[in-house]
Amino acid sequence: MKFKINKDHFSNGLQQVLNVVATRSTMPILSNVLIEAEEGHISLTTTNLDLGIRCRIKADVSDAGAITLPVRKLATIVRELPVDEVFIETSEKNQAKITSGGSLFKIMGISSEEFPPLPTFENRKVFELSQEAIVGMLKSVSYAQSNDENRYILNGVYFNFADEKLTLVATDGRRLGLTALETEISEENAGSLILPAKTVAELERLMGKGEKVKIAFNDRQAAFEIDIDEAGDSGLVDHLYLVSKIVEGNYPNYRQVIPKETEHRVKIERELMLECVHRAALVTSDKSNSVKLKVTKNLLEISGSSTEYGESHESMAIAYDGPEVQVAFNPQFLMEPLKALTKDEVFFEFKDELSPGLFKTLDNFICVIMPLRLN
Amino acid sequence: MPKLRRIIHIDMDCFYAAVEMREHPELANRPIAVGGASGRGVLTTCNYAAREFGIRSAMPVFKARELCPSLVILPVRFELYREASRAIREIFKRYTDLIEPLSLDEAYLDVTHQKRSGAELAEEIRQAIHHETGLTASAGIAPNKLVAKIASDWNKPNGQCVVPPSQIDAFILPLPVRRIWGVGPKSAARLTEMGIETCGQLQALNQTELASEFGSFGLELYRLCRGIDERPVEANRVRKSLSNESTFSKNLESLEDCEEALMRQHGELMEDLRSSAPDRKIAKVLVKLKFSDFQRTTAEMPAQQAEPKLYRQLLREAWGRSGQPVRLLGLGVRFAETDSSPEQLELGI
Repeated sequence: MKFKINKDHFSNGLQQVLNVVATRSTMPILSNVLIEAEEGHISLTTTNLDLGIRCRIKADVSDAGAITLPVRKLATIVRELPVDEVFIETSEKNQAKITSGGSLFKIMGISSEEFPPLPTFENRKVFELSQEAIVGMLKSVSYAQSNDENRYILNGVYFNFADEKLTLVATDGRRLGLTALETEISEENAGSLILPAKTVAELERLMGKGEKVKIAFNDRQAAFEIDIDEAGDSGLVDHLYLVSKIVEGNYPNYRQVIPKETEHRVKIERELMLECVHRAALVTSDKSNSVKLKVTKNLLEISGSSTEYGESHESMAIAYDGPEVQVAFNPQFLMEPLKALTKDEVFFEFKDELSPGLFKTLDNFICVIMPLRLN
Repeated sequence: MPKLRRIIHIDMDCFYAAVEMREHPELANRPIAVGGASGRGVLTTCNYAAREFGIRSAMPVFKARELCPSLVILPVRFELYREASRAIREIFKRYTDLIEPLSLDEAYLDVTHQKRSGAELAEEIRQAIHHETGLTASAGIAPNKLVAKIASDWNKPNGQCVVPPSQIDAFILPLPVRRIWGVGPKSAARLTEMGIETCGQLQALNQTELASEFGSFGLELYRLCRGIDERPVEANRVRKSLSNESTFSKNLESLEDCEEALMRQHGELMEDLRSSAPDRKIAKVLVKLKFSDFQRTTAEMPAQQAEPKLYRQLLREAWGRSGQPVRLLGLGVRFAETDSSPEQLELGI
């Protein structure tokens, strides 16, 4: 294998695939990136067996071939190389020679034949959607995923393609984020999947630069073909390809925990409330991690306190004419949806101190948050 | 190289049935089973005389009666079993602090620190159990939990099986893959499709092949089918909830019938709370229903006490979600976390 490549292109390609390496030492090749050189480009592939990513970078390939190299070490070396032109050549014994300007590296690799191939799969349902829309939807719910391994079904984002819309849901049992997008769904294409948290994080990182994403899934796997940004000089060609195991099992009936009606609704300025909650939470501690919301006529007061640091008090004007209500929340649970949203106007709904609070927007977004018991 | 461990897995022989046999010596030689209070319930366990008829735990009562019309079915008496279980745990404590109970009748003991051999200790523990409780136990002794647990089943009842490190291979090779923890019916079916029935056959697959079929669980399988298991024996797991449930022989058609069953089970729950968690703070109470169409629902609310009126309220709420007759009713409590931070309420999902 022999090729010439632009340093920034190579570096950029490695950044795309870098996060998907296995930490277990039992299979050292999982810490490596598979480099395959073909005419006009190289492919870079990494996998941790549950999730695999592949990208293609343009390169001047004189001899086709393949090798695997330790991806993190390689990424560091490439980033530090002295000039833009980088030459890679493999020798027998799975060694790669990297030269650039006056630098020469000989890096030990593992034979490409031992690299586990990315799975291919049949019986797929396929959708093509806007990357910008999907990434926005993922971000608006993904913070609510559970990281409790005992509730592995909740360790991901639920995708439901049904009733002429795509619905995304995430919950950890204490708050729940839901968002929906109207989209055409044929009867045979309707279906659902639970995408693991790690895959969600990678999608949020990789998507949003190109136009479309093609999603294909069956009952065991999901694949994403991500259009790249055609405008910039990233060196990327073709698509980014990501294939992931899905969480096997049935997602719980989340509809039952979304209140049909809440008593009071106020319109809030999203960024202002975010700032107020953030400041109020500055005096809270791990032991008393709560902020109290007090709603009175035309006023929302947000306060925090802890025995360690003292007290905080914030107030913002709202249009409200109902009875006084006080309710306490984990400040993170309020800030995360507020941060993830992009609309300026958000509705906050509530009832009493033991009932959930809700954030809603006019475009099919709901976040249900259970309160903390006030002492 | 980690230190070589010595783990004993103790498994009581048909525990509930054995306790009942001890309490009813006149029935000792007859086929008896425990559980299945109603016509549609299932057996919790049965004695060896009953097993000769092909009766197994979790078998529906009507099927057991078909196999053995003379089967004596006794109601479950948890208090009695818990008492026996406590006595047995006291015996374990004489030998080690590292005890991980799996249920009332099963536990792992890590005796690595003891000078005497695992086999000798297991023998002595089993004798003490028999002497002090009149019950018999079987044991598996091995360098890890996986093999110890499988081995305790080897010379049942009232026997034990030692698998020293040098014999793990010989022990594990012929084992059906289904015996490995984590291999459920789905994975087993996939393996059968691949022509794999035993751990030995599974060992023929390399990590890459296993990984491409099972993802990262494939790597775990790679170790487990070789008898490698590094999970520690974990003492003091804190219980998070306590509950009971009943399946009824005849669906409960009305809310009144449900309330009656609820109150019966509430009494049992209170007794369980008194005996096994007297000092825990309650955070929540819950009622679970399964309807005739097999839909399930759970209603719960924050509460400090397991009061009957709260359960009645939850029952009405859960009942109202379906309107179908009720097949199964369960109620329970969730305990508060042991720290003092403000309590986070749950969605109940």
